[in-house]
Amino acid sequence: MMGSANSGDLSSEMEVDAFRRLFPLRFHERHLLESIRPDARMLGKARDTTLALGAVASADGSALAKIGCTTMLAAIKMEVMTPTAESPDMGCIAIDFHMPPICSPTVRPGRPAEAAPVVSKQLSDTILSSGMINLKDLSLVRGKASWMAYLDIYCLDADGALFDAALLSAVAAFSNLQIPIVALNDDGRVVVVSEENEGGKLKKEPVNKEKRKLKLSSIPFSLTCILHKNYILADPTAEEESIMETLVTVVLNLSGQLVSLYKPGGQFLAYTSAIQDCMALTRQRVKELKKILDEAICDMEMD
Amino acid sequence: MVGLSVGEKHFIQGGIAQDLRSDGRKRLTYRHIQVETGVIPQADGSARVKMGATDVIGSVKAELGKPNPLQPDKGKVSLYVDCSPTAAPMFEGRGGEELSTELSATLQRCLLGGKNGAGAGIDLSSLSIVEGKVCWDLYIDCLVVSSDGNLLDALGAAIKAALSNTGIPKVQVAAAVSSDGQPEVDVSDEEFLQFDTSGVPVIVTLTKVGRHYIVDATSEEESQMSSAVSVSINREGRICGLTKRGGAGLDPSIVLDMISVAKHVSEQLINKLDSEIAAAEACEEESGHG
Amino acid sequence: MSGTAPATYSPSPTMQNKKRAPIFTDVDWVRPDGRGFRQCRGAFLRTGAANAASGSAYAEFGNTKVIVSVFGPRESKKAMMYSDIGRLNCNVSYTTFSTPIRGQGSDNKEFSSMLHKALEGAIILDSFPKTTVDVFALVLESGGSDLPVVVSCASLALADAGIMMYDVVASVSVSCLGKNLVIDPITEEESYQDGSMMITCMPSRNEVTQLTVTGEWSTPKIHEAMELCLDACSKLGDIMRSCLKEAASASQE
Repeated sequence: MMGSANSGDLSSEMEVDAFRRLFPLRFHERHLLESIRPDARMLGKARDTTLALGAVASADGSALAKIGCTTMLAAIKMEVMTPTAESPDMGCIAIDFHMPPICSPTVRPGRPAEAAPVVSKQLSDTILSSGMINLKDLSLVRGKASWMAYLDIYCLDADGALFDAALLSAVAAFSNLQIPIVALNDDGRVVVVSEENEGGKLKKEPVNKEKRKLKLSSIPFSLTCILHKNYILADPTAEEESIMETLVTVVLNLSGQLVSLYKPGGQFLAYTSAIQDCMALTRQRVKELKKILDEAICDMEMD
Repeated sequence: MVGLSVGEKHFIQGGIAQDLRSDGRKRLTYRHIQVETGVIPQADGSARVKMGATDVIGSVKAELGKPNPLQPDKGKVSLYVDCSPTAAPMFEGRGGEELSTELSATLQRCLLGGKNGAGAGIDLSSLSIVEGKVCWDLYIDCLVVSSDGNLLDALGAAIKAALSNTGIPKVQVAAAVSSDGQPEVDVSDEEFLQFDTSGVPVIVTLTKVGRHYIVDATSEEESQMSSAVSVSINREGRICGLTKRGGAGLDPSIVLDMISVAKHVSEQLINKLDSEIAAAEACEEESGHG
Repeated sequence: MSGTAPATYSPSPTMQNKKRAPIFTDVDWVRPDGRGFRQCRGAFLRTGAANAASGSAYAEFGNTKVIVSVFGPRESKKAMMYSDIGRLNCNVSYTTFSTPIRGQGSDNKEFSSMLHKALEGAIILDSFPKTTVDVFALVLESGGSDLPVVVSCASLALADAGIMMYDVVASVSVSCLGKNLVIDPITEEESYQDGSMMITCMPSRNEVTQLTVTGEWSTPKIHEAMELCLDACSKLGDIMRSCLKEAASASQE
């Protein structure tokens, strides 16, 4: 791993390690001069990304996303609610992002991580505003019943670019979602029609026979970059995020439209040209992620 | 926490090895058990049990509730232990919380039986009034007033005594069912049903100090334990629950041996407790009428 | 959005209409997943599941999926008194989607303290004085026998973190259903059980670190169940050890 960090005055492995701990910023800047990163990535390159769909059997849809070491598990549970009077034919999506103590040494039980509510808000803003899901598709009986999709994302291992991994797992979980077939029973409650109790309840007509899958249009994907001086580092690790603090997250949808853009402060101000470079990197990344998602869906259908 | 000098530790351990403990007891002898019933007038049943300097109160309150949809023909029991800060400075603030949770969980395991209620000391079906609609909810609350070891056995005894002190009001179910499907019930305030406590097990904790085990350990003795096994045993000699405490591992054969010793001890404890409860009830009746 | 979350309910059929009295006393009764009474579920164990931790492990027994991270030994909390032996801090929590009905995903205090008790006897606490080792478990999916899986997985994670132990801690539970004893029960079996026994033990030292029993048991039945558990624990211990060996030889290459 250190091989590429070879630079004259730092000969032995031990010294490199000590240098890395004592002068982290200089260590990283030294790499940047050579246009390479400590994990041997090029500046604009994202880490290896994998997706596995249907990881949790107790959920209606789920996915496990891994970007480098950052691991996210997203799962959707469908519940029934009475729609509000203003929007009788719409369902609802509730998105929550959790950082349990297992994911990072800085999180302790009973004290939620500071980053969790921030990512949670970003995710729900992004997913709801992207128009990926038509909330009308979640309606069951107009004014009476509609779906509430609870999407919970758990960070299992936090190693930077949390938002990117969380968004990827969320999108994948929605594409894995199998909506249960339900019918109205005599009490006006919505119940699942399963094969077991089909015999007794055949007279009940399922209310959503045609709507087992959600149609996802204009799926959003994101890429987080670090701006440091005039360098742009795509998909940072936790170490890089802690040393160089100016982050830019670009969310684009499949047609290349900008869904959202975050630059929450940081040491460096961004020239518009830098933002444009970030966008260009994101456009590349969207293509990669789309391919990964399609392959994961394909794999799932094969099984 | 008990602070003991090396000499004191040796004294305790040596005494146990020679079957003569610091307070003159043998290894399998309990301290004097004192039971007082009806100590809390507003509860439906209550009892105070003292074992040496360990002092605990158990109270039972019955309220009308709705049965769990999973078990429509059964009542519900909830059990909670509170460690009063007056008992020990370490119970102050949130200090007692951990111990409270542990004691509550252990007592639930020992007295309330398995998940479907089998092996429960309290017959949950006797708490049912109208199946699926109305049942009795028993709230068992315990308070540790003063702690000198062996809390679990004392709490178990206090609950047993409080339950036998409990009278559950007789309930008349009106024939007509009201519009919302909830039957009308009339709770009598004169007639009470005595609660059947013959099935309630006792808890025997064997504390292992050195190579020997002792019952009813004081906190000084508990500070020297390597591990302890609490077994709840009913009158038929069947095991209704078991929990191990203390970090050190135990050989499986020792666990089985401890179970058989606990079984032997439980027979004496049940008889002793029954007579103490009967005496306390008689005493309460006398003072009540007199 | 979450602020105005309306009341929702799960459409999946509750146990209410499933209220069938299973004939567990029946000799021909088969377990829901087709296993023999004395057959454990297939176990999948891996160390190094989370990189951010000093050590971690993932365990999958049937549908029960658990991930455990170990942090430390690290500085004890400021408020803690001086201690010449190390401290062990355990926490078990569930994800919101781990159970069939969406839960609150809160900490499980009882399991946390049980995990602590199961492990403390196996760890050489003298080897890290003044510091704390944190063991955090997250149940990703609850499929029955959750606590035994958490305990076994936690001991693997501790080994992965290089915490000194006398032996690995293996844990197995049995359910008593009527006259039958079934090992490694799934959720459905646990919900019908008349009694249960859970053993956590150090197989090569033949020591029980934790034992709990619920329900009504006769002494011979206890003997039988203990034997069954201990036997399964020693087999599980072998699997755990080979998992550690595999990980060690893989990292050497």
